[in-house]
Amino acid sequence: MSIRVIASPVRASLARPCLGLRAIRASIPTHGALAAPVAVRHLGIPPLIAQPPGGIVGTVNDAVKIPPPDKLHGSYHWTFERLIAIGIIPLTVAPFISDAALAPAVDSVLVTTTLVHCYFGLQSNIIDYIPKREFGKVHDACMWLLLGGTIVTGYGFYKYETNDIGLSGTIAKVWKA
Amino acid sequence: MNSCRTSLATMSSAIAGSVRRSMTSSTLRAPMVASVRSMATATSEPARPANTPRMKKLKIYRWNPDEPSSKPYMQDFEVDLNECGPMMLDAILKIKNEQDATLTLRRSCREGICGSCAMNINGTNTLACLCRIDPDLTQTTKVYPLPHMFVVKDLVPDLTQFYKQYKSIKPYLQRADYPADGKETLQSIEDRKKLDGLYECILCACCSTSCPSYWWNQSEYLGPAILLQTYRWLADSRDHATEERKLALQNSMSLYRCHTIMNCSRTCPKGLNPGLAIAEIKKSMSL
Repeated sequence: MSIRVIASPVRASLARPCLGLRAIRASIPTHGALAAPVAVRHLGIPPLIAQPPGGIVGTVNDAVKIPPPDKLHGSYHWTFERLIAIGIIPLTVAPFISDAALAPAVDSVLVTTTLVHCYFGLQSNIIDYIPKREFGKVHDACMWLLLGGTIVTGYGFYKYETNDIGLSGTIAKVWKA
Repeated sequence: MNSCRTSLATMSSAIAGSVRRSMTSSTLRAPMVASVRSMATATSEPARPANTPRMKKLKIYRWNPDEPSSKPYMQDFEVDLNECGPMMLDAILKIKNEQDATLTLRRSCREGICGSCAMNINGTNTLACLCRIDPDLTQTTKVYPLPHMFVVKDLVPDLTQFYKQYKSIKPYLQRADYPADGKETLQSIEDRKKLDGLYECILCACCSTSCPSYWWNQSEYLGPAILLQTYRWLADSRDHATEERKLALQNSMSLYRCHTIMNCSRTCPKGLNPGLAIAEIKKSMSL
């Protein structure tokens, strides 16, 4: 217990030049022992939700709480992510060897998988850098924004594939130009 | 003034060191010598001319919790390599013994088996006792505490969260029943071999604190060291709690913040491969 009493002003006032990120140092409040416990992120943006000092919840002898199991965000998510990533590899080659008449079909599969791949990648970015633990509703808003953006992009590609020359057609045209 | 004092100190210790060395070499084959203990700073290399000191420059991170409003700073030290053991821990302890007793660090076994002296030396997380001093005297060696950890003092990081996370994975054998004859739970030689490369981990936290994912989400992501330990129990043929252990990782944070950056495997001072262990966990949980 005494460790934590000593440690909290330590955590609050601590500037860490060892990462060489001046932004962190500049953003850390320097008013010493009276400063409220603030965890500062790498971009220098303070979290919207106040964090416990050092992210430590409970006493030093309590184990970290295990989150409720959710396979959709766990193994299923990871497996699907990997299958999509592996699937894109042959799909990028497919337009070269497939029949021109099949181009819209091959294109649509390629565009869909690429969009889902990008969605997962950016979702990981949001979880990493705008975590729900610190940013709460902003985290949720970013997730909705990503979903909306992905759907709009998907619709745009749909129009492009149906009304214009499509993705592989564009690449072929740019290649020749 | 201060540098004058330190050079005097090193000179006097140089004399003492040479006397000590000549004594040990003359009595080396005596049967009683096994009980004679030389200091960690004594070196068994052939003596160089004692009048040409090889001064190695070190910059060490200093921060004192008793002055919470003053910023951390880098302090310069110089160590004569002729009078120092070969490892970084020898140099730091020599500084602590002879130049500045307030320099604070954790150390215990001085042979890479306890994991206490984990620190960031020249940009790499490693154990000071397993890290050779760079003999290039033109280069300054920089020593920092483990990166992105809260600092208790100088080179001592706060590992509270790290140990709390270790506790959360229940790092012990869990079985529904034990052999009826009351003897030990047996394991085949092949099953035992699966634990090689896992049981050697000493939890020095070098890998976890080198992982950017662990830097950003330390309070939720378990980090490579703890995940390697999780795999150590998943891979153990005697353990019966495999499903519960896997279920505890079924969320977006505990395990899946690993993006195979592989800093963990690169930095491990014991030459282990936490990245591979995490990949094995992910593989065993998929499909």
